[in-house]
Amino acid sequence: MAVFTDTDELHRVMNDLWTAIKNEKEMAAQLLSSRLIVTFHYREPDGRLTVDCSDGKEMVITVGDCNKKPVVEMFMKSSVAHEFWLGKVNVPLALIQGKIVSKGPVNKALALLPAIKPAYGLYPSVIEKNGLKVSIT
Amino acid sequence: MNPFVFHTPTRVYFGEDSASSCGDFLRELGGKKVLMVADAFLEKSGALKPLIESIRESTGSAPILFTDVPSDSDIDCVNNATAIARTHQCDAFVAVGGGSVIDTAKVINICLSFGGEVMDYQGLNIIERKLYPLIAVPTTAGTGAEVSFVAMVKDHGEGKKLMFGSRFLAPDVAILDPLMIVSLPAKLTAATGIDAITHDIECYVASGTYSVFTDAICLESLRLLFEFLPQATVDGGNIEARGATLVASCMAGVAFTNSGVGITHALAHAVGAKYATHHGMTNAVFLPHGMRFNLDTVYPRYARIAQFLGFADEENNGDELALANLLVNKVEALLEKLQLPLTLRELGVPEFSDENLAELTDLAAADPAIMFNPREASSDDLTQLLKRAY
Repeated sequence: MAVFTDTDELHRVMNDLWTAIKNEKEMAAQLLSSRLIVTFHYREPDGRLTVDCSDGKEMVITVGDCNKKPVVEMFMKSSVAHEFWLGKVNVPLALIQGKIVSKGPVNKALALLPAIKPAYGLYPSVIEKNGLKVSIT
Repeated sequence: MNPFVFHTPTRVYFGEDSASSCGDFLRELGGKKVLMVADAFLEKSGALKPLIESIRESTGSAPILFTDVPSDSDIDCVNNATAIARTHQCDAFVAVGGGSVIDTAKVINICLSFGGEVMDYQGLNIIERKLYPLIAVPTTAGTGAEVSFVAMVKDHGEGKKLMFGSRFLAPDVAILDPLMIVSLPAKLTAATGIDAITHDIECYVASGTYSVFTDAICLESLRLLFEFLPQATVDGGNIEARGATLVASCMAGVAFTNSGVGITHALAHAVGAKYATHHGMTNAVFLPHGMRFNLDTVYPRYARIAQFLGFADEENNGDELALANLLVNKVEALLEKLQLPLTLRELGVPEFSDENLAELTDLAAADPAIMFNPREASSDDLTQLLKRAY
């Protein structure tokens, strides 16, 4: 069974999650210091989300089409994204398996992994808030 | 058993004078016009002649030769070679040289196969289909580039390394000819050999990515390197030792490209990027420190290596921690025997300012290799390791 029923639901969940991350001062500060623009491309269902930290002051989250040129693009199935935010994805293995595709200077994006780890704790409540009927354990 | 993926698309051909069979493989792979990317000194020494002749026989024409590859290859080199390959409508590649030459050929192949600019393909898993045929003939025994799925070239303008990773980047054929490495100087033989040993040891303990396949390959590769690297270093003309290190290095390449490396490589990449130190020698400096850092987390795995290499005796047999420590000591003893630099100072790295130390720490923390390390390393951990290695 798919984790997200459609693109709208996927966008809603990811937008809520990134908004929660934006509101966590310490996490947001570390992401902003990277000054990266990262676009996540999802499939099954399709979706897209761009996180813009380029001005170093405010994290701008755009769901769907975005005219900003990303520095790094990440491509994955929506279910992989879901597992990732539950802290269940071995990222090195997923990269070796080709489950995650990264375009651009991948080291810059990977360097942010430790910074976003606390977001794993935020995700279950985002799932709950959006009424997704999936296992979060 | 953990989930894993293991894939090795490269056909490996080993043997004395095997390089002169290069044309036979090209005939099979379908290349008509070949760009040969090679180290300049190989052309001067005449070492390329048998390969060129073999290619001429199989394709009907001599390869286009490109030898302007710096030791730390860069985008300009790739763009220049790509332009030459386009002009001559090349449809196959032969890379003869060390890791930099082979990586350069891989990236040229991407640009020629798919068009566009180098930067369009930077990243992991972007390339999703086959490239033009590529045959790699390594002239060092260490990088594993002849079988690996990755290539790195420098963007000197931005002062950073660009990484390209895809299973389609692996060469179609790797020709391991011991005669091609007999002239490698002792110091480089030792340093590149230690690079291979580092691949094996880091891959063997990589975070959740190693497998029974990579385990078996790493162990046998280490056995060959511990036995034959000192001989190949002291007596460059020893064909048996040269062949063994060449095969062992290739095996290590197969293993690490499937499972990754770790903190030693992350630190070595950082220092290499800033001070242009030799990759193998920098790995040699960091390897004991990296192993000690990981020891508490992976000592049973280190103990298995020590046991396989025959280091266990009545005193330590069954004591995994003692065996793991013994392995680190044996690595240090090997480094001393090979007369490799043991500190960054000996490598010529200037004393660190606080600013430089912070920059190196950030570089190491952002290196993809760190992801595969079995023990998480904080910025403070990395800083301490850099200081200790100095």
